Amino acid sequence: MTEAAVADPVGRKPSLAPPTAFALWCDRNFKWLLVAPAVALIAALSIYPLLFSIWISFVNYDFSIPGHDFVGLKNFRQVVVDPVARWSVVVTAMLSTLDVVAEFLLGLGLALILAQSFRGRGIIMSILIIPLFISPVIVGQLWALLLQRPFGPTDFLLSKLLGFDVTISWLTEAPWNFIALVVADVWQWTPFMLVILLAGLTAIPPHLYEAAELDGVGNWRTFRYITLPYIGPMITLAIAFRLLDSIKLFDTIFMMTGGGPGTNTYTSSFYLYQVGFQQFHLSQATAGSWLFLILTAVIIMGLVRRLLRAEA
Amino acid sequence: MNVGFIGIWSRLGRFVALSLMIIFVLGPLYWVAITSIKPSNDYLAVPPVWFPSQPTLIHYWAALFAYRGLDGLINSVIISVLATLLSAALGTPMAYSLARYNTGGQHLSFWVLSQRFLPPIAVVLPIFLVYRSTGLYDTHIGLIIAYTVFTLPVTVWMMFAYFRQMPRSLEEAAMVDGCTRWQSFVRVAVPLALPGVVAASVFAFIACWTEFFFALVLTSRHAFTLPTVFRAFLGFQGSQYGESSALSIVSLVPSIVLGMLVQKHLVRGLTLGALRG
Repeated sequence: MTEAAVADPVGRKPSLAPPTAFALWCDRNFKWLLVAPAVALIAALSIYPLLFSIWISFVNYDFSIPGHDFVGLKNFRQVVVDPVARWSVVVTAMLSTLDVVAEFLLGLGLALILAQSFRGRGIIMSILIIPLFISPVIVGQLWALLLQRPFGPTDFLLSKLLGFDVTISWLTEAPWNFIALVVADVWQWTPFMLVILLAGLTAIPPHLYEAAELDGVGNWRTFRYITLPYIGPMITLAIAFRLLDSIKLFDTIFMMTGGGPGTNTYTSSFYLYQVGFQQFHLSQATAGSWLFLILTAVIIMGLVRRLLRAEA
Repeated sequence: MNVGFIGIWSRLGRFVALSLMIIFVLGPLYWVAITSIKPSNDYLAVPPVWFPSQPTLIHYWAALFAYRGLDGLINSVIISVLATLLSAALGTPMAYSLARYNTGGQHLSFWVLSQRFLPPIAVVLPIFLVYRSTGLYDTHIGLIIAYTVFTLPVTVWMMFAYFRQMPRSLEEAAMVDGCTRWQSFVRVAVPLALPGVVAASVFAFIACWTEFFFALVLTSRHAFTLPTVFRAFLGFQGSQYGESSALSIVSLVPSIVLGMLVQKHLVRGLTLGALRG
């Protein structure tokens, strides 16, 4: 303690030595000095690139065409008229909706079960949250392994269960490839919903349920009029978080379908990655990511404001 | 709990539902674990081999050495550890300032939080170009900086919630006793918040450890991390199941173990402190 006090060049020693002008300045601007490094770093890696990318999106920036001439809205037009880009928006919207709905319903069901107290609840919870800590790339790899024909055991198990031969190419055949992607996402992120909704359910004061039971209110009506309104904010929070993350879906696409067959499972992130980093149409990809950013920004704003309100 | 006729049925239903879910969660993990120790000629057996009669570790050696998994592992450790430390070192002061002095009002916290939701694809292209021109491309330091920024919102918001819950009285007492604001922050607030810093850091570490997109775009043959090694297994149908499974196990075990350690902070970690568990 004493050594640290002597070693600290900024801190005023507990003795009565007069503080230097520098120490006083530091003390006055204390709160700004604390945020400065983090803000500077975030600004360097997000504001600067965003500003830089505005410029890129209005010029020619393409590894196959030399020079950086101003091209107006050409880059944006190229993205908007590209049928693959349009399809990728549809795929993104469809997959994220399916993911979030399936995860919410499954997560809510599990949360309702796990909100009861019974033996083994803790260990079951620990098992169910495992997928949250696995890299999405590995989750993609995992499911590719399970679903790939002829190696994966999925078709074999399904044939046994259903009693007839199942020969589905899960990764290369529409609509099974979408189902495969949704299953992988549900596997990884259902626990997310579960954890948040369970936190909401366990916070409901038990006397509400007791009162309902005394009044002879049925299970469904108890759920509808006590449980749902009480966990409403948590539901919004969980859905919004998952929605924003699933819009960025990339890793499992990369590992499971590679966007294929053809461009069938291109999400917006995957499309922009392909255009930017495989075909090196950098300015077109940048223009596209601005359009994508604007599309998502509306949802981001809504959620972040909500979170701030919850915190205040 | 009433143990009537209904009680038994609802218990049975609960048992069945939870069993199915546990099978759904653990099944794929079992399959990848078993594939990682399967001899190659068991891959395509029908019916599938549920447990190999001659388990082998050969795929682990191949994954670590032939596919440079070990290099990826070492890079992942270096990059994740340093980015986590940096994120905690920069994020904790910022969170303290936001929580105690309301610095920058709502705008600053809004801005930091929105970084968490910014689609990586929107910033990665210009970062890639900047990295190419400044020599940061495919370097450890480049990815460390990117990961620090990428985890800062999580650290700041988790610590923000933590400091808010901590009583100010001790810091105020320290200042009455002649400590400067710096001293009361460094000597009083930070030691008290240490459990929170550790929890936030573990979440930041897991986020770095499992990240793929930035690593894919910003590294190549030198600073590549473990998740990017999986690219090597794409497009070779049917020959490297063992290697890719072995590498999956190598990567997922550390993050699951860490995740279990911070399980009680999970609600906070997942919602950036917006909900208390």
